[in-house]
Amino acid sequence: MEKVIDLTPVARPKASQPWARKSPKFIASAAFASIIPAAITLAFIATAGLDFMAALIAIFLPLQVIAAALVGVSVYGRRGILEGLLVVATIFFSSFVFVLLGSVIWSVVSNGAAAISPSFIFQNNYYIQPKTSLEYGGVGHAILGSLLIVGASTLVTVPLGLATAVYLTETQGKSKGIIRTLLQAMAGLPSVVSGLFIYAMFIASGITTYAGWTGSLALIPLMLPTVARVTEESLRLVPAELRNGALALGAPAWRAFVQVTLPAAKSGIVTAVLLGVARVIGETAPLVLTTFAADRTNLNLFSGQMGSLPTYLFNYIAFGFDESIKRSWGAALVILIIVAILFISARVASGTRTKARK
Amino acid sequence: MSSRTYQLSAENVNVWFGERHVLKDVNLAFPSNQVTALIGPSGCGKSTFIRTLNRMHELIPSAGFGGKVLLDGEDIYGDGVDPVKVRLKVGMVFQKPNPFPTMTIQENVLSGLKLSGRKNPNNEELVETSLRRASIWNEVKDRLNDPALSLSGGQQQRLCIARSLAMGPDVLLMDEPCSALDPGSTRRVEETILELAPQMTIVIVTHNMQQAQRVADQTAFFLSEDGNPGHVVEFGATEQVFEQPVDPRTNDYVNGHFG
Ligand SMILES: Nc1ncnc2c1ncn2[C@@H]1O[C@H](COP(=O)(O)OP(=O)(O)OP(=O)(O)O)[C@@H](O)[C@H]1O
Ligand SMILES: [Mg+2]
Repeated sequence: MEKVIDLTPVARPKASQPWARKSPKFIASAAFASIIPAAITLAFIATAGLDFMAALIAIFLPLQVIAAALVGVSVYGRRGILEGLLVVATIFFSSFVFVLLGSVIWSVVSNGAAAISPSFIFQNNYYIQPKTSLEYGGVGHAILGSLLIVGASTLVTVPLGLATAVYLTETQGKSKGIIRTLLQAMAGLPSVVSGLFIYAMFIASGITTYAGWTGSLALIPLMLPTVARVTEESLRLVPAELRNGALALGAPAWRAFVQVTLPAAKSGIVTAVLLGVARVIGETAPLVLTTFAADRTNLNLFSGQMGSLPTYLFNYIAFGFDESIKRSWGAALVILIIVAILFISARVASGTRTKARK
Repeated sequence: MSSRTYQLSAENVNVWFGERHVLKDVNLAFPSNQVTALIGPSGCGKSTFIRTLNRMHELIPSAGFGGKVLLDGEDIYGDGVDPVKVRLKVGMVFQKPNPFPTMTIQENVLSGLKLSGRKNPNNEELVETSLRRASIWNEVKDRLNDPALSLSGGQQQRLCIARSLAMGPDVLLMDEPCSALDPGSTRRVEETILELAPQMTIVIVTHNMQQAQRVADQTAFFLSEDGNPGHVVEFGATEQVFEQPVDPRTNDYVNGHFG
């Protein structure tokens, strides 16, 4: 009979996963293999007074590798050696990356938290000296500046990136190869070069003085490759059957794209924009060369210097006083928070429709 | 819906993919309001042929084409013929059900109108008639705003048929519409085909000999031997093709001796 998918979650008996069951022997030897090396290493640290990192690398890692290989052999026979080593390598390297990332985030959060206060977020930097106590002044002007500068580049880059991706996926254009190579080259463009280019073209040549829009321009080539490539990938993932289905219904190609392909690729495209923004929001060099920095709030992209979070961070680090370095940490944390907000809101925005319809 | 139905015919159709000649001199005529089945072993060019009938073939970058396809006496490959207009008159149902995943059931039925930029004042009525004609109305009438992907595969396929029917095509092309379906859904789709047949010209590709016999008025047998381009070996009334084939290869194929 007809099958109707029940969409309401119901209480199910707990799913069993027979393939995930491990034999007691395996569990025992795995526990053995993880406890013994750790115990020996700890003992060494306690008795011989070894440095923790040194012990980790010189004693724990070799022991762990040997233990894993032994367990591998005892459970699976000879092919187990490689298996055991792979498991250790995977865990070791992934925890390495994890710890690295965690410690970066942690240092920003722990150092930055001290600087953060309502005044730090909302006030600007006018009348503030490098040594002024943190009760006064803040990054309000820099937050607005960053949002304006990056927002303007996003407005230009997204249509450009989308158009590029459409050209690469939906058309049978002849210059795809060149465009791809160009994008790759652009992705490798050092940001300072992009800034220098805009500086030479518009500022050194006297066309304008330092201004927000030159910063936006300098960020475009940095953002474009990310937006275009990720959008291209997500458009490619839309099954050809959907496109053909639309065309077979008598849709002109552009309608098929706008009404079928684009909605199907929506969450990927949101991700593309997001990665593009995340790519440039912390860019310092191009902004130092183009928008310079300002202490007052400047909401006009077309005239005058403009503060931004990365340039603020850079300047206050350079002052080198305790107070100023605290301000830098604060600015770093604000950047992290903005990126986090962007990520979460984009996830929510691209997820709601599909979730509501699942 | 227009009450007239067109006769479709292929004259000396030749197809290439790059340098490779895959169909040679295909001549077939599809009379109004009849069902024609295309059968033949895998790779003989049935899908390729059916895609030439609504100009979907040219979407493949390496595609080449020679010959004529006459729709109501007019060559759809003639100068200045808009492929989009052709596809409005010649609908297509694919092997794999392909409802639009971001749309609801109702939106899927109306998607053709939206996609071709047309407006229909009687949307609700059109949704109901189309779904009824595709024999799926009773199963979905209470959940028209559910996502299309919440339907079973067989229901999805009938939804795709409804989607095509909503455009009021004169010809419906179906490329193995039942190959992804269970026997129950297959039967429903076949019933739908038989109900539609008096109103439109239907061309169906199938690997199922019984299905061809159940639904088709006439049958064409395609064959491509030893890397030669595919061609029509036998074409005639379904009964004759299955009971008294002229060509021994047809006899072998319909009796399951090769392919
Ligand atoms: N996009 C394409 N590019 C190049 N060659 C193709 C393409 N599509 C099909 N062909 C070739 O054309 C020939 C006919 O393919 P087609 O898909 O029409 O066969 P078919 O009769 O529909 O087979 P099946 O019953 O398996 O669906 C095959 O040899 C195939 O390799
Ligand atoms: Mg086929």
